[in-house]
Amino acid sequence: MSINRRDFIKTLATTSVVFPLSARSALASRSSSAKAQVVVIGGGYGGATAAKYIKHLDSAIEVTLIEKQATYTSCPLSNEVISGEREISTLQVGYDGLRKQGIHVLIDEVAGVDPARKKVTTQHGKTLSYDALVMSPGIAFDYAGVEGYSRELADGSLPHAWKAGPQTLALKKQLEAMRDGGTFIIAVPKGPFRCPPGPYERAAQVANYLTHHGKAKSKVILLDANDSFSKKGLFEQAWARQYPGMIEWVAGKDDGRVVKVDAKSKTAFTTFNDHKADVLNLIPPHHAGAIAKATGLTNEKGWCSVDMLTMESTVHKDIYVVGDSCVHGDLPVYAAPKSAHSASTQAKAAASAIVAKLNGLPAPEPFFVNTCYSITAPGWGFSVVHVYKVVDGKLVYVKEAGGVSPVKMESEAALKLQRRLEAEYANGWIKNIMADAFA
Amino acid sequence: MKCRSFLLFAVGLTASALVQAGATEDLARTCNNCHGMNGVSVGPTMPSIAGQSESHLKTLMLQWKSGERYSATMGRLIKGYSDEQIAALAIHFSKLPWTPVVQHANAATLAKGKAATDHCETCHGKTGGEPDDADIPRLNGQWAEYLELELMKYREDDVKMPHKKMRKNAKKIEEGDITAITRFFAAQPK
Repeated sequence: MSINRRDFIKTLATTSVVFPLSARSALASRSSSAKAQVVVIGGGYGGATAAKYIKHLDSAIEVTLIEKQATYTSCPLSNEVISGEREISTLQVGYDGLRKQGIHVLIDEVAGVDPARKKVTTQHGKTLSYDALVMSPGIAFDYAGVEGYSRELADGSLPHAWKAGPQTLALKKQLEAMRDGGTFIIAVPKGPFRCPPGPYERAAQVANYLTHHGKAKSKVILLDANDSFSKKGLFEQAWARQYPGMIEWVAGKDDGRVVKVDAKSKTAFTTFNDHKADVLNLIPPHHAGAIAKATGLTNEKGWCSVDMLTMESTVHKDIYVVGDSCVHGDLPVYAAPKSAHSASTQAKAAASAIVAKLNGLPAPEPFFVNTCYSITAPGWGFSVVHVYKVVDGKLVYVKEAGGVSPVKMESEAALKLQRRLEAEYANGWIKNIMADAFA
Repeated sequence: MKCRSFLLFAVGLTASALVQAGATEDLARTCNNCHGMNGVSVGPTMPSIAGQSESHLKTLMLQWKSGERYSATMGRLIKGYSDEQIAALAIHFSKLPWTPVVQHANAATLAKGKAATDHCETCHGKTGGEPDDADIPRLNGQWAEYLELELMKYREDDVKMPHKKMRKNAKKIEEGDITAITRFFAAQPK
């Protein structure tokens, strides 16, 4: 027999042996005229998943999701759009799926959050009260972090395309217009940043396009503020096999960090060198979404600290931060990476914690996993997996699990099979995770 | 009426079993990311897992965990789960209904597929929907692309797949029949 969460809560509430009277009376006192209100800020993977699962777990809760744009474009797999391997429409989804489940969706922008009075105001002049708030605003770019860069340039001649959408297509156009023998530069900011393997996958997808469109004399240069990167062995193997000599990576310690750009000449300046590009793809430094900062939720590094078990902000009660905005885990190597999959499991854990709390019940044990696929060429994919568990009330990275796909295998045939399977799995994963959040 | 059944249900369970049931629900939700809501996949390369037998699901997960069975991704994930969690997940998904995602194929493909399923029929049943043993997965309405990928694993000697009979039969299939066979099973509603 299978019971869903709502049933489970009801069952708990009627079982005297489990929880004290206060918990049960809290639930009993709920009437239809005093429904709990949850507001969700941001309709990406984190926000959409949280909204959906809260409603799914307790349909009596009124859930309102506030999102600026009527259509969402998935960042995962959007590097394939740049190379022409994928249509952007396969990564786009609206909010009708959530509306059909009884979630109120406001296409609007949040003007402010008052954590003391537990109210959210919007640009269109709406004021919403909340019992719990889910904050999932994604990232905000620090344009001033690189001299010479600006928001206008990002929307114009120097798209970062680190938020999928029009800039993804703009970058694709620039790549298509690039001459054979040209240089495509990707500038990578100091971590932590959204999608840790993303810049290196992008380099491969750009090389994929160049190789197959008569531009094999071109170069792709990664100017990196960091000294290492996610899935490094796997990327280096793929680059060498598929695009020999085409991709060059410059580490931070080797003067890789870009500090200044000149938009007109498309030049990236590091401390000691200047690099002239035909296409300059600067990924600016970034931090938690602007509304998270304005609400006072961010730490000195610009990200939101959370209770690792419930995702509740350590700054303001009843505000839960999920997705790229939060820092989940206390050591850099064990912290959950900023990925859609992390956002999704964080959102589910937050949803369970919120529903339990609104029903006067203790927070359930959370489960967090991450799976992140990268595709460097058709039929060539690999992944990193993270599994976390709670030990003595603390979130722990499970060292005996997780890790990256094997670099070496028994034979060439086995290696090709492994890469092919993971490239194919990425295509299935994107459909399921999008449906899990938005359908 | 619904409420009454919860009460009746509650009477038969201890408090810790209830907590366990809630924990399993929470744990199972992390599977949805890849395998679809409630284990029914909408991504053609990812299998639906809801409604497969408990024994089959549990065996797969334990074999991945021990390294006895090759997997591209699942082995790394499942090593993070205890044997008790694996057992609970197997029960959880086996109790959900098997929901075939019927994928249409043209008559020629179906006929070719049907003719080539001799090697499959004994164990998986005529349509793939009637396995003769609890350890054998259902194939009807499973995603064709996933079935093709799974056959690739069984046909590759250099990765470790545990089921001798399945390995033998997978290798007997003519390369040109693979697509027809997987489309045939994917098209079966029952």
